[in-house]
Amino acid sequence: MRRGGRKIKQYTSCVKKGKENYMVSDAALPFYEMVQNRDHELAALASAGKKLIGYFCTYAPVELIHASGFVPVRIMGDAGTIDKAYALTPDFICPYLRGAVEKALNGGYKHLRGVVQGYTCDAACGVANIWNENIGGDVFHILPLPYVDQPASRSFLRAELTGVAEKLGLAGGVYTHERLAASLDLYDKIRALMAEFYALRYERKLPLSAADFLCVVQAGFFTLPERYYTMLTDLKKALPQTFNAPKGIPVLISGSLIEDPRVLRIVEESGGMVVADDLCTGLRNFIPTRGRGAEPMDRLIDRTMNRFPCPSRTSAEERLPRLLELMECSKARGVIFILQKFCTPHLGDHPFLNAALQERRIPSLMIEIEESGAQDGPMRTRLESFFEMLEA
Amino acid sequence: MEKSAKSKKRLQTAKELPLIIADYYRECHEAKMENRPVGWMPPMNGGIELFYAMSLQPVFPENWSPVCAAFGLTHKNFAVCENMGYSRDLCGYLRNIIGYVNGMMDGPEIPLGGLPEPDIILTPQGGCSPVMKIFQALERRFPRAKVFRGDSPQVAIENITRHHIDYAVGEMKRLVEFLAEATGHKLDMDRLKEVVRLSDRACELWDEIMSFRRFIPTPISASEIGIMFVMVTRQGTQKAVDYLVRVRDELKERSEQGIGILADEKIRLFWDNIPLWYNMGLFNYFEKMGGVVVAETYSAAWSLRLDADNPMESLAMKTLTSYPLVSCVSIKKRKEMVLKACREYSIDGAILHRNRSCVPITLGQMDIRRELEQEGIPSLIIDADHMDDRNFSTAQFQTRADAFMEMLLSKKKGSL
Ligand code: SF4
Ligand code: SF4
Repeated sequence: MRRGGRKIKQYTSCVKKGKENYMVSDAALPFYEMVQNRDHELAALASAGKKLIGYFCTYAPVELIHASGFVPVRIMGDAGTIDKAYALTPDFICPYLRGAVEKALNGGYKHLRGVVQGYTCDAACGVANIWNENIGGDVFHILPLPYVDQPASRSFLRAELTGVAEKLGLAGGVYTHERLAASLDLYDKIRALMAEFYALRYERKLPLSAADFLCVVQAGFFTLPERYYTMLTDLKKALPQTFNAPKGIPVLISGSLIEDPRVLRIVEESGGMVVADDLCTGLRNFIPTRGRGAEPMDRLIDRTMNRFPCPSRTSAEERLPRLLELMECSKARGVIFILQKFCTPHLGDHPFLNAALQERRIPSLMIEIEESGAQDGPMRTRLESFFEMLEA
Repeated sequence: MEKSAKSKKRLQTAKELPLIIADYYRECHEAKMENRPVGWMPPMNGGIELFYAMSLQPVFPENWSPVCAAFGLTHKNFAVCENMGYSRDLCGYLRNIIGYVNGMMDGPEIPLGGLPEPDIILTPQGGCSPVMKIFQALERRFPRAKVFRGDSPQVAIENITRHHIDYAVGEMKRLVEFLAEATGHKLDMDRLKEVVRLSDRACELWDEIMSFRRFIPTPISASEIGIMFVMVTRQGTQKAVDYLVRVRDELKERSEQGIGILADEKIRLFWDNIPLWYNMGLFNYFEKMGGVVVAETYSAAWSLRLDADNPMESLAMKTLTSYPLVSCVSIKKRKEMVLKACREYSIDGAILHRNRSCVPITLGQMDIRRELEQEGIPSLIIDADHMDDRNFSTAQFQTRADAFMEMLLSKKKGSL
């Protein structure tokens, strides 16, 4: 269902392969363009003297990286086949990471000054190491993150974050508490705006398709936060006040990360309407919108410890109530798990979550994203029968 | 060649392993009968010594997987697990143990009586992702067990600083308090020091045993690596020390007499990654062409020392280093370790097991390979799986292994 949209011809940025025609809403257009021109944007930032630091997982302390004078950039893959990455990684890690390595080996990340990664899953940690060995840079840091929330683990995290600031300092970064406070304020405002969009979506008042919304999120992964905040404020203003009520069966999408908006487009074209998500290219990145604490470091620590749980860091039992809450507030009628193939944290939780949903008579479906991207035909068929079943 | 085969062991002490294994599992069941609390935990962490010091019984579900592989139980366990909806792409340890506890558990066909149910579960908050998911699933399966979740920061060994150690010591102390409350068993510091002393002695003996691999011909090979069972299950006990002393003495004797695994040793190999537990005989495969697998990555896990006068810190360090030592937490460190082993043991060629069941050990292998090449050590990649024989093709293995051995032999001839 596209609302208030216009047709863009031969618009290929957000699709993995080939050329496609599809509708994009006016309001989301700047975000689509950003995402489409991502490489160019990174080059422009670098030539403007900005220092870019890459990260794979949203547990990287982006506020601290920004406060130290760097631009945090989430490393993503590109459309196309995996070729060079075979020489460095086995074919049984998630396609996301392999795509990222491929892009790096093709020079796609030559503007990055290094990588800062929070230890979340083994594959991302290993690939960060491989990056350090083969792509290099001035900064390489993997920070262990505590799992148990207790005073000692917060002190531990403080020491870890101070270590990141020091490492960044060696590469020309300048960290002060004041700068961190300012960065936190900015990111908090961004997250608060995103939370507003989510609230609108729960009430069916967000005139953006799921694919559009993903582009809005993705643009934030590499745009200067100052600029991104302005773009989001403009988006808020540009959202049409009146639009055709969206149609489709309301569903929640759960998974790790979705790079290709086409996947979500297929969900919506097959009869669904995404009203909530539990994705790290989605809600998990924004909730909670802020951390509490007297000092800026305390705020960063507090938010990190209270993040909406990612399966790499918690058990399925702890996630389930959060998912049910999301179902409740969004009135979603089913769950679609869109998982990266070989992703242990998510695949490890799926059987329990699936059974728990079944017990509650909530239908769910699981789709794996393989290296070749989403398989259009089979995926559509499965989705269509899932939605038919939900409609019955 | 068979898909599954047992290894041929030459050391008398290695031949005793079935008894040693049976003795340990008998002890686990006795503990249950005597009301001595049984705790399930991941291997290679400092909790083992704490358990022995507090007269509690540690049980290692990961170690149960090789036992299942040796007894041919994995297919049944995998089927149970996959029927529960677990993906075949997940680590075989995970699929085996989740299948086992939700399937046959203590059924009549189970060898060694199976695993006694846990009274306590130590769920690691650290280590690899599958191991965390394994213990979360075990908590689910044994809801009556008391659970301790202890943090173990995933930090590269070369980056460990004071605050990591302090935090790990704090977690150790928290564990002691938890165990005391959960079981009523109190920790006696003198007893702990004694256990840590024994643990350190075991590590010292382990290093000594490994050093015999420098001999040409080597008196010990990867086929005998089952001796590590005592390091996994009994570290901190006199039994482990006694056994290792006997292994060491046997090796001493054999090396003094110049008795090698092979009388005519031509090629010395290194094995990277976990062995194929269902086919330990693979290590013997190279022998027909004069090749012996002298060393493997795994053994480095116990190459550490503990200070009995500072037991908590020593155990904290053991926990901190156990996962990074063998995984991709630092590829730099792994490369160093593999190279060091290859140099020390005069390795001619390395076999890199690209293990579908273990992402953390497999990632970085290509970097290790490059480093080996620079040292002039050729390597062979074997696609397999340490638990799931469906991911292993004997035909492909044989063709590639034969070609590799021929190449190494002619290289060696050329350099003579
Ligand atoms: S998709 Fe899964 S495996 Fe891949 S980086 Fe994310 S958590 Fe790790
Ligand atoms: S280290 Fe490897 S083999 Fe062991 S549980 Fe983790 S993934 Fe599985």
